[in-house]
Amino acid sequence: MIKNSFLIVILVAFLLACTEEIDVSLDSTYARLVVDGSIADDSATYRISLSQSADYFLNEPAPRVTGATVRINDGTGLFDLHETEPGLSGIYETDSGFQAVPGKLYTLLVDLKEPIAGMSACQASCFLRPVTKLDSVSAMFHPDWGPEGVWTIKLWAQEPGNEVNYYMFNLYRNGKLLTDTITKKVVSDDKYINGSYMNGVDVMYLNHAHKWETIFPGDTIILQMSGITEEYFNFISQVQQAGYNIPFFTGPPANVTGNISDGGIGFFAAFSNTYARNTVKN
Amino acid sequence: MIYAPLRLLLALFFIPMTLMSVASPDKAKRFSISGKITDQSSGEALVGATVFVRELKTGTVTDVYGNYSLTLAEGEYHLAFSYIGYLTVERVVSLHKDHRISVELMTHQRELNEVVITSERNDRNVVKPEMSTFRMDIKTIQQIPALMGEVDVIKAIQLLPGVQSVGEGSSGFSVRGGGPDQNLILLDEATVYNASHLMGFFSVFNNDAIRDVKLYKGDIPPAYGGRLASVLDIRMNEGNSKKFEINGGIGLISSRLTVEGPVKKDRASFVVSGRRTYADIFLPLSSNKALQNNKLYFYDLNAKINYRINDNNQIFLSGYFGRDVFKNNFAGMNWGNETATFRWNHLFNKKLFLNLSLVYSNYRYNLGTPTGNNNSFDWYSGLRDIGIKGDFSHYLNTNNTLKYGASLTYHMFDPGKATGTGNESFVIEVAVPRNYAFETGVYAGNEQKAGTRLTLKYGLRFSMFQNIGPGTVFHYDSSYKAVDSTLYKAGRIYNTYIGLEPRVGLLYDFNSKHSIKASYARTYQYLQLAQNSTIGTPLDIWFASSPNVKPQIADQVALGYFRNFRRNTIETSVEAYYKWMRNVIDFRDFANLILNNKLEGEIRTGKAWSYGIEFLVRLNEERLNGWVSYTYSRTFRQINGINGNDPYPAPYDKPNNISIVLNYVISKRFTVSANWVYATGAPVTFPTGRAEIGGKIIPIYSDRNQYRYEDYNRLDLSLTFYSKKKPERHFDWDLNFSVYNAYNRHNTWSINFTQDNTNPDVTYAEKVYLFGIIPSITFNFHFNND
Repeated sequence: MIKNSFLIVILVAFLLACTEEIDVSLDSTYARLVVDGSIADDSATYRISLSQSADYFLNEPAPRVTGATVRINDGTGLFDLHETEPGLSGIYETDSGFQAVPGKLYTLLVDLKEPIAGMSACQASCFLRPVTKLDSVSAMFHPDWGPEGVWTIKLWAQEPGNEVNYYMFNLYRNGKLLTDTITKKVVSDDKYINGSYMNGVDVMYLNHAHKWETIFPGDTIILQMSGITEEYFNFISQVQQAGYNIPFFTGPPANVTGNISDGGIGFFAAFSNTYARNTVKN
Repeated sequence: MIYAPLRLLLALFFIPMTLMSVASPDKAKRFSISGKITDQSSGEALVGATVFVRELKTGTVTDVYGNYSLTLAEGEYHLAFSYIGYLTVERVVSLHKDHRISVELMTHQRELNEVVITSERNDRNVVKPEMSTFRMDIKTIQQIPALMGEVDVIKAIQLLPGVQSVGEGSSGFSVRGGGPDQNLILLDEATVYNASHLMGFFSVFNNDAIRDVKLYKGDIPPAYGGRLASVLDIRMNEGNSKKFEINGGIGLISSRLTVEGPVKKDRASFVVSGRRTYADIFLPLSSNKALQNNKLYFYDLNAKINYRINDNNQIFLSGYFGRDVFKNNFAGMNWGNETATFRWNHLFNKKLFLNLSLVYSNYRYNLGTPTGNNNSFDWYSGLRDIGIKGDFSHYLNTNNTLKYGASLTYHMFDPGKATGTGNESFVIEVAVPRNYAFETGVYAGNEQKAGTRLTLKYGLRFSMFQNIGPGTVFHYDSSYKAVDSTLYKAGRIYNTYIGLEPRVGLLYDFNSKHSIKASYARTYQYLQLAQNSTIGTPLDIWFASSPNVKPQIADQVALGYFRNFRRNTIETSVEAYYKWMRNVIDFRDFANLILNNKLEGEIRTGKAWSYGIEFLVRLNEERLNGWVSYTYSRTFRQINGINGNDPYPAPYDKPNNISIVLNYVISKRFTVSANWVYATGAPVTFPTGRAEIGGKIIPIYSDRNQYRYEDYNRLDLSLTFYSKKKPERHFDWDLNFSVYNAYNRHNTWSINFTQDNTNPDVTYAEKVYLFGIIPSITFNFHFNND
């Protein structure tokens, strides 16, 4: 939070910098398996996507990895996942009504039909951490921030003080997920709030100039707070940093660290959710 | 509790006293001539002015306080006192006793085109046993075209061979491949920890308050220590001791005003200089609403008084205070340096000078949001130094000049503390505890003439760094995870590092026209910046060596050939160097350097090496001055835990560099200046592959720094128009027009790889550049009561 506010201050100063699209010639690299998916403690159908990495300027959808055997082990039993369009989609889903349980270690097991970069199987484990209950949410408009104002999303909840917690926040507007890509999700540790009652903490800033990702009075918003692991927190933070380069702040670019074994890229996450709903007021 | 280093320091101050008492008269009758060389119009000391003994074809130069001393056999001598840009003064002396000859030199700028002056030119480039250094007086710097007309010492330094800017418009600089934190920047002997204003676009040095600047890129004298790559020694104006003067300037983004004059004629003088930017005054006019409520400015204040008590004692007090302020409705921050120096120059006798200094330096920043919100906070970080320093210059005889001294600095680090402010705030306090350290240096060196052609220089610096409690030291396992910690109580020295730093050099002078010089220097560095980005921000903190962080060590050898042409008006040199560095610091991927009490776990260390060759032609013609340089250099790092432990080009590895800096005096009322710079593009890591995760394209990167930005080049121009100078007039002015980046090249500041908004499968590269062509105008004025 503190870091973010600093970034906002400085970025304002750099509205003056200019950009232009340029041609850069980049080398080729070998393909790696990319795993992307998560499960949670809501009863639902969960999806795991398998694809291949490609050269940077491929400029078409990532090649899918089809025909793999994908299972989840919860320490007591195995759950099979099924490819949604066998041999085609590379998306593997659980049976409906799958519900993970806080306190368990979940392991994703992938066996490939054909090896990728010499790898024919891999796995990824994630512990499902519980999350503190979200009491309520509200939105507040600051007309004097930014060109057209900024909405802040505030939450109320008791932060447990006895442990280090990591959170992920998602926002739904009228039932539609606003934070629909990984870079829009908000993650936070409890460094500045450990043990506090979060009495209207700002968790999200919505730039009202971006009409496609803001909210309006009368909307119903749902805030989802998820308890995530430190590894997943680091992964999302790294993904969010890996995309941009501002010579003032960003260190040398580096590859993100996921939890897929044997050279795979990506993350298999398990987390617990809590929700709060409200109507946006003027 | 008297600390060992303090005792050492006390001891050192007794040594010269004892030496003095045993100094016996020379066997042959020898006497000394000493004195001070000053500017006739302002009374300011001239640094590096030459005293030449015609009969012996030998001489000396003044030290940083304008003092000189020569010891010669009994006899009659013709002495020539000279300084670039000044008329030479000749004196005849019959040396049968010690003489004190102080000379005031007159600048010959005002006589230009009126009288033709043949003045003695300076051959110090060839005959001084000193290499890898560059001195510039402020007049030279003021002629260089500047970004937005803001004349800047550091931007001038970046045009020297072997020195590079860390980024477009930045005040950070890299010397011979070193990091920006490997430069010791001194303002009247006080360390300036962050020399940047406004995110680096301007440096903290107000050119009206500066007298001259000297950069040591290598061959660092034993008197200096604490950084691997360079020493930038900046001296403030002393103030005119003869008459009152007001100098000022009005520029596009800032205005300056300097007042100086005698407090007591020829004895005491003062100078006060201030500068403030006012770009933010125009922000409310911006069409961009986001900018309208912003405050963004910096100011600084320099002041100095000096008092010549008598011929043997002079005291100075100087200070600097500067601050950047950045504020909008959402948040605010401010940062800046404060320095203070008290100095006593004492001449024990004709041969022994002492300079004793008390030095204070402080860098701090504050960041926060307005109170009244539930996440209101205030975040503070800073660093303070208090030090004492004594330097003796001992002119033993014509062939030996001994310099020795000691320094002790007490460092206090406040790495950061964030606290909630106001009643509503839920933000809890997060603090990285304060820590403390002693840094000691003791040195001695001699410059010895061995025959007519060979001069040797040898010295040793002993440095010591001690961490003092209270302090918590974490212990890290092999994967850099903190496993436990030890708490040390207040006052306890819990860690000591010792460094022996030999500094040697030699000069072989063929005939005062050309010479060969060689040098070797070892340097230790005990403080470094936690800076992971190439340019850095004001929030980067300094951290000290500790049980977990070994001091960085560099060994540099350099060999050079120096030759002057056309009666010393053209100086040329070629220098080659090789530098080895150990315990060099880098940071793990995605390091967290902010408010992290386990910062040391983010550090990765290894080695680095740099080499290069620098060609320089410097012109000091009557009308044309400046320099042309070409540098070829490389610099690499090999750090355990980075880039798969393989070597990679360091961030400032830019092999080819050209700088052309020229100033031409068209007439008494017009000068034109131009500089052109070229540098190979900086190394950078680019993505070679991509993966789709969470609806985003995630880059898969090449090895570290395997690509380069496009080559950098830029032309700046300026034209200065001066008012007509008349002896009876007290007011004169000049008007400067300058153009930065004259051919509007879009030099790369960074390259971002972006996912197209409308077609998310498409990625493209986007170049960010900061400045197109930037014209500016500055009006300068000068008033005196002569």
